[in-house]
Amino acid sequence: MTHKYDAIIIGSGASGGAVAYQLCKAGYKVALLEKGRLITREEFSKDELAYCRRDIVTPNLFDEYHTIEEKIDGEWIETPTFESGWSFWNGNIVGGSSNLMSGMLHRMHPDDFRLKTVYGEIKGANIEDWAISYDDLEPYYTLAEELVGISGKAQAHPYKAPRSTKDFQQAPTQENAITALFDKSCKALGITPLITPRAVLSKDRGERLACYYSNFCGSYGCSSGAKGSSREAFIIPALATGNLTLLTNSHVTKLNSTQKEVTDVKVINTLTLASQKLSAKIFVLASQAHESSRLLLNSANIFHPQGLSNSSGEVGKNLIFSAGGAGQGTFYQKNMKEKDFKALMQRGLFVNRSLLDWYIKETWIGGKEKGGLVEFMFEHQNNISRAVSNRYNNNKLLWGKELAQAMHKSFTQSKKMRFEIFNDWLPTDDCFISLDTKRKDKYGMSVGKLRINAHPHDITVASDIATECENILKEMGAEDIYSSISASPPQNLIAGGCRFGNNPKTAVLNKNCQSFDTPNLFVADASFMPTGGSTPYTWTIYANALRVGDAIINVLQKGL
Amino acid sequence: MTTRRTFISASAVGGISLLLAKEVSTKERLNEELYKIIQKVQEHLFPEGTLLPSAHLFGATVFLEETVYHSSYDKDIRAFVLDGAKELKNMHKELFLKYDEKQMESALRKFEKTKMGDNWLSRVMILSIEALLSDPIYGGNFQELGWKALETTGGFPRPTSRYVAL
Repeated sequence: MTHKYDAIIIGSGASGGAVAYQLCKAGYKVALLEKGRLITREEFSKDELAYCRRDIVTPNLFDEYHTIEEKIDGEWIETPTFESGWSFWNGNIVGGSSNLMSGMLHRMHPDDFRLKTVYGEIKGANIEDWAISYDDLEPYYTLAEELVGISGKAQAHPYKAPRSTKDFQQAPTQENAITALFDKSCKALGITPLITPRAVLSKDRGERLACYYSNFCGSYGCSSGAKGSSREAFIIPALATGNLTLLTNSHVTKLNSTQKEVTDVKVINTLTLASQKLSAKIFVLASQAHESSRLLLNSANIFHPQGLSNSSGEVGKNLIFSAGGAGQGTFYQKNMKEKDFKALMQRGLFVNRSLLDWYIKETWIGGKEKGGLVEFMFEHQNNISRAVSNRYNNNKLLWGKELAQAMHKSFTQSKKMRFEIFNDWLPTDDCFISLDTKRKDKYGMSVGKLRINAHPHDITVASDIATECENILKEMGAEDIYSSISASPPQNLIAGGCRFGNNPKTAVLNKNCQSFDTPNLFVADASFMPTGGSTPYTWTIYANALRVGDAIINVLQKGL
Repeated sequence: MTTRRTFISASAVGGISLLLAKEVSTKERLNEELYKIIQKVQEHLFPEGTLLPSAHLFGATVFLEETVYHSSYDKDIRAFVLDGAKELKNMHKELFLKYDEKQMESALRKFEKTKMGDNWLSRVMILSIEALLSDPIYGGNFQELGWKALETTGGFPRPTSRYVAL
């Protein structure tokens, strides 16, 4: 049978874009389906109200939502997100949420690929080694670094993942003067400050221009092309090959299949609601972990009554998040020299510092435990959200003169520095996505029901690291220091649900992220990850998707 | 995680939120009386003579009205915003619009002590701050006075249309 497309990719975010790039460069015809619309580099603005305070680039929660199950007082309580306002959608536009990332990226450590073997089992956690090693992924971390345009500096650290190239092609982005004080304070405490690799160009590269330090990076699209979104790094170059068909406002509601293969996808145009079927040789699911599992489960048919690619019963299981905790401290003008405060208040420049000192913890009996990574940054500079945070004092609403003074003082006489901790979110039986068969979205699909619970071990690890970070802020002279460690997941960094592995009885995908049940189906997003390391997932998602792209090319060349 | 749930349960106590939700779906403007109540509240929260421009000057109520009726605004919260104003009317009748500053302070602090009042005042405060500091294209932040008062500015490029209507 001849097909118009060699491959159909569902979702244009970090993984979908990277697969499209690989296939199109190799000469294959690809249809890239994106549920949302295209917003170009020239069209992005720093509109806080639209991008940060309304559902403009994500669906209206009354139309499409999730059900969240949380344990409250020992009971699982279901809340649909249209009630809570807690959206689990992320950047439904061409390039996905990679348009909106802060771009602080890290490779996983080689140990993270063998968590069970190196660190042993933890009671109540479903830890499994990866089906590939760091060495298998390293060439793709390097390729992603080059293509995405990750800026940084190779620095030695015992817990840093090894590199095959000497240094980053892009030097680090510019830093606020406060980093000198940060570095000095870390060194005084015996801590090694490291420059954060960032998916942001520090110098022009082809059509993409260097960062212009807009002061509003994360949560916004980039107007110079510096940020290495899937759209800038992969989709635009893929379109230039002439092999890519980008279909926007195209929402896939079902994969149709026989026993052995996916045959076509049902695509609904989100503007006209007209539907059509599209077919190809290969289908690639790249809809973000929770939505990819949901689509597989919604695609149940007579051949696959439990859902597509779900003969193991594992689809949706062992969902994980990239999280840990966060904290902050405030620097006040009254405690600083005038020139230092002026430098601190300079807009736009990054803190760009991360710490790996607690990534692995050596124990006194000679063993080791997994810890986590810390990222330091300024508080997000959004005006409305910063102002809104001043509205209460001791549970009393401020208004009039008092509010004006509090807001003015906060904006002009202080600046907050934050830290975010990333440690392993251990996979458990109480963190998964299934279908909420009682609730349908506006397309008639069963909505995804996410049961969310964190392993108590995660909290202990993060709490220990938070104490160390608070000490750094103290040493720097910050005040009002606090941290909050919670089991609340970030809805933008999700993985798991379709584990890869070597055993079709316990894994959904093989080591190439190819479905055991229907081998012309690949899942390219973070769904495959059995564990997530102690880093944000993005660099790993980019790297793995480039690897999956090569595996698909191999199949297209040699046949299934 | 967020407090929308509390708004809803708090407003349900009044028993009028459903009715109002129906009402707002067919109207695009606040009725004159509710507009004036909200305006009076916002002018009390952001009066003249502080380090910030007054609600009247930065366009708080015009912004609030246009914002809550925009399709991007949560319809439950829109109903709640109307609910609270209606509740103030029920509590104070037509006297509310005639209160002097001292009487307003007392009325709003009393309202704040109720769950609904606290949530509602917080919501009106958020909408007022959005008017103060969003891009002037949305009708608030008159002449960027909000940004200027706090020695800040929005990011560049600035929006050229409301709500990314490209």
